[in-house]
Amino acid sequence: MNLKMYIDSKTSAAGRGSRRGISRTKPWLGWSLALPCALFLAALTVLRAQSPDETIEIHKPTTHIVPISISGFSGDVESALAFDLESLGMEVTSPDKAEYMVNGSQDGRVQGSLTPSKVAQPLWARAYAGGNARSQAHAFANDIVAEIRQTKPIFQTRIAFRRKEGSGTEIAVADFDGYDAAQVTRDGTLVGGPCWIPGRRALLYTSWKGAGEEILEQNLGNGERRVFANNPGANLSPSVSPDGRKVAMILSRGGSPNLWVCNIDGSGLKQLTSTREEDSCPTWSPDSREICFVCRSGRAELQKISASGGTARVLRVAGVYGNLTSPDWSPDGKWIAFTSGSRNFAICVVPAAGGDAQKLVAGEDPCWAPNSRTIVFGRQIGEKSILCLLDVPTKHVKDVRQISGSCSEPSWAR
Amino acid sequence: MKNARSIGLFLLTMTLAAGVTGCKHRAQDITTIPGGGGPPSSPPPAINNTPGNPQPGPGVGEITPPPNAVTGGNIPINPSGAYANLFNGPHSEDHEKFKADIIYFDFDSSTIKASEESKLQAVADYFKTAPATEALTVEGNCDERGTEKYNLSLGERRALAAREYLSNLGVSPDRIQTKTWGASQPADKGHNEEAWKQNRRDEFVLITPKN
Repeated sequence: MNLKMYIDSKTSAAGRGSRRGISRTKPWLGWSLALPCALFLAALTVLRAQSPDETIEIHKPTTHIVPISISGFSGDVESALAFDLESLGMEVTSPDKAEYMVNGSQDGRVQGSLTPSKVAQPLWARAYAGGNARSQAHAFANDIVAEIRQTKPIFQTRIAFRRKEGSGTEIAVADFDGYDAAQVTRDGTLVGGPCWIPGRRALLYTSWKGAGEEILEQNLGNGERRVFANNPGANLSPSVSPDGRKVAMILSRGGSPNLWVCNIDGSGLKQLTSTREEDSCPTWSPDSREICFVCRSGRAELQKISASGGTARVLRVAGVYGNLTSPDWSPDGKWIAFTSGSRNFAICVVPAAGGDAQKLVAGEDPCWAPNSRTIVFGRQIGEKSILCLLDVPTKHVKDVRQISGSCSEPSWAR
Repeated sequence: MKNARSIGLFLLTMTLAAGVTGCKHRAQDITTIPGGGGPPSSPPPAINNTPGNPQPGPGVGEITPPPNAVTGGNIPINPSGAYANLFNGPHSEDHEKFKADIIYFDFDSSTIKASEESKLQAVADYFKTAPATEALTVEGNCDERGTEKYNLSLGERRALAAREYLSNLGVSPDRIQTKTWGASQPADKGHNEEAWKQNRRDEFVLITPKN
């Protein structure tokens, strides 16, 4: 059998994956790894280039459910691996039905290999040190997904969200799968959904703690917080640009809830819209140049405007009716996810340039993961809301680990 | 320490690369995971500023008006209005005073309905003879049929609609502050139109100086 392996995509995806996961917590570690990693990958590439007869062709499925088997693991490691792979649209099955086989052990440290079913040899075998068993399992799953789905790793990322228990609402953070949840605020008042500041362990959110609605900035490292915006009138729904330099928000100081932007240090406040009806829900394009937001003119529709000002244009959304709210622009710039409806909410996606929209699953307030493939969203079950993960191409949904109280308005650190 | 670790990792990686050269399919590369795995893994420490006394931050600054501003009827909020100190300082809130004057809205609308106008007239009449020290908060609310952030803006728009109406009846807009609760404070917790129509509302709160 003459087989060909996609060496470039495979090795670069894996390399990016390991660097990224580490550099998020300790940037210096990521940089110090970059050179050895590059040399290591170069060595691999040279090695494979020298053995053309042994290259193998690997099918790279991205949109169908991938049957995969997991053996050699138990407890937390097995459950974390299964959760992670299922959240990316894979289905854990027996080895005879699997398209890929994950084998390994967890004696002291997690180690394992990934083997396509039609190939006798594993694609690779790796071991993971440090952290705990769960984080090693997540790192292993990141490598598996980089191989099969060719997406950026997300299994060591965090989400922030709003949690309601009793009469109070608070901001909380957790791992993407709901583990290691920690409460961020303890004010006993209303708070609005949080927004991460890109590249920092810090959040912006609306708080009702003071005299009026104001936007607070909180550093998750040392707990310090400060008032980010307390203009006269309402200060709502902050959204930080992906380059970390600007903040879009809804202010009513002009007499109507409109879209405003300012610099990340609060300077340079500028009003972008001045409609009579209210604007809401700003989200940024990945190049930080445009803002998509909701404007109500008859019904709630999605509009786009340059972050430096100008005329807002309606985003054409075909095939989905009713109110269109809570847009979130995918990090790769291709899609805008949003919520449709007025009670039976649905998660939808539309091309960022406008066009035919797809209604995916029941739920509200979608937020993209860094991989531009997974969406975290809120889903109402009776009187409470839970957080769920959606694999957009396969429409596969996984509930995150149950956190007590009602959880909504998730924001994915990216 | 930084350099020592870099060199250590470099040597480790090179050793592994050498291992791969000898046995390409069985080789293992080791990914080291920092403790906890992923930011921010530790619970945040307690918040260090005291309630009601946040550190001052940037906020009000130079404002650039949007091009082709269409302000039709929008009354800007004056940050240094005569009642700013009352709103931002110690004051008492009377939620009962205008209990009979709660105004209601149609679904997804901030238009003041004809049926609600007499209630607004009653509120305006009160302020014609009220002590000059008293002021008003209009609190806008929504039913649950909207996403959270959408409802926050809609609730604020409803409160501002009442403020504009009262202003037209002679109450200084500086004397009125607005607040939005979105759908978080339903008057009726039911999930049907009977409940929803009770929830799409503006409530009026009398503000008086605290003695």
